[in-house]
Amino acid sequence: MNMFERTRRRAAPVLVAAGLAAGAWYAVAFLVGWARGVAFPTPHETAAELARLLAGRTLSGHLIYRHVGASLARWAAGFGIAAAAGTAYGLLAGWWRGLERATAPLVHAAQTVPGLAWIHAALLLFGIGERATVFMIAAAAFPPVAVSVLGGVKRVDATYVRAARMMGARGPTLLLRVLLPGALPHVLSGLRVGLGNGWRVVVAAEMIVGTGTGLGYSIIQARWTLDYTSGFACVAIICLVGLAVERCVFAPLERRTVERWHMPRAA
Amino acid sequence: MIRLENIAKCYPAANGGPDGHVVLRDVSLAVAPGELLCVLGPSGCGKSTLLNLVAGFIRPTSGRVLFAGREVAAPGPDRGVVFQDPTLLPWLTVRRNVEFGLRAAGVPAERRRGLAAEAVRLVGLDGFEDAYPHVLSGGMRQRAALARVLVLRPEALLMDEPFGALDANSRERLQDELLGIWQAHRRTVLFVTHHVEEAAYLADRVVLLGPPAAGIRDEMTVELPRPRDRDGDALRRVIRQLRACLDGMPCCLCR
Repeated sequence: MNMFERTRRRAAPVLVAAGLAAGAWYAVAFLVGWARGVAFPTPHETAAELARLLAGRTLSGHLIYRHVGASLARWAAGFGIAAAAGTAYGLLAGWWRGLERATAPLVHAAQTVPGLAWIHAALLLFGIGERATVFMIAAAAFPPVAVSVLGGVKRVDATYVRAARMMGARGPTLLLRVLLPGALPHVLSGLRVGLGNGWRVVVAAEMIVGTGTGLGYSIIQARWTLDYTSGFACVAIICLVGLAVERCVFAPLERRTVERWHMPRAA
Repeated sequence: MIRLENIAKCYPAANGGPDGHVVLRDVSLAVAPGELLCVLGPSGCGKSTLLNLVAGFIRPTSGRVLFAGREVAAPGPDRGVVFQDPTLLPWLTVRRNVEFGLRAAGVPAERRRGLAAEAVRLVGLDGFEDAYPHVLSGGMRQRAALARVLVLRPEALLMDEPFGALDANSRERLQDELLGIWQAHRRTVLFVTHHVEEAAYLADRVVLLGPPAAGIRDEMTVELPRPRDRDGDALRRVIRQLRACLDGMPCCLCR
């Protein structure tokens, strides 16, 4: 099988699915227009608006790049905190049963809190602004990372730990050089979920905490100005960013680590 | 070098009941410095438990385990363990696996590299330093597992059926290489196996471990000079004797 044929085989189902989704979208747009008499942005209108935005049309007084950049920066800050704290917690609690027993119920409880529900705590702690948003993102992304890392550490083959201790590994060496890589498939799956949670919260938080920039802010502003098409275009950008992170960060990371080492994937 | 004094090891019953599961009862054993001692017994007789006690992975229910005169409290690089499964860390290359213990001990990178290269050469894995464990055959992985403990220059090697999962040819080759390394460096070796020929071929002394109630059933010093002829009558005689002892025990004991 040559390269071209392989690409075609892989792309075909994706294209068919995308075509069906677009068809359904057109159908909904048509039905809404017919039944409710309002203009529902269609795929090509959304694409055209997206092109205009990318070409330099401003939204709420800023270029789209500014909005995307602002959202990404908040997301990176909040998720970075959650990833570091969640991994550290998971490692420690996976190693030390006492910590796990005492705190795991709290983490599980925190996992049930929707990201946006942290808004009161965020506003009381940090007031309106950047830091409140980052706090909500971190609060939403922390539990899935923590729970996955903890579960992954507990599933690390006990003989690896034995072998490492026999070779003289203690404390931090054991945690960072054995338990962390041993739990990596679970760590990655936790980071994935945390990243998704975080992204959703960025957009939602920007809608509520008046940030002045960001994709969520733009979506809610577009809603007040009845500019639904650019709202749709912003949603499309959100999807594209999520897809890009999966393709450009997680997939290569997995190829370079877990797959290269032939480790079983996390469910 | 290694001394077990009146060891007993019980595991609590699975259902939390009063009678735990006795694995070892009143076992005493001494291994002299430089000796190659094989512990031979049917599966389920507690051979691995005995080795894990010396390694420090588990603690005895009663009795004392002494290594170099000190009571064993934890695993450590002075007792290099080779497990039945190679248990190489899959995320490290052969070189990194071999360097692992040196790194934990804080040996500087350059010296680490030199020592690891030497150990890798000693077990015949040169050329595979940058390979990940999953691409190696079972025998090669076990060689790497041996290299990663040899590089730490342990005072004793604890080997838990290390060649049990290998094909017959690899097994014999690795036995010979182990003997070569042992003769060159004269480390104490505690070698656990259920394989009669292996025990007879390798050991200075074979200890036959029976079921828990029986404890150590017998002990035999193998006086044959090395290299031993695998097909020679002398070795065959030892094997016959050992087998006769084993046949006197119940087999396939439940764990």
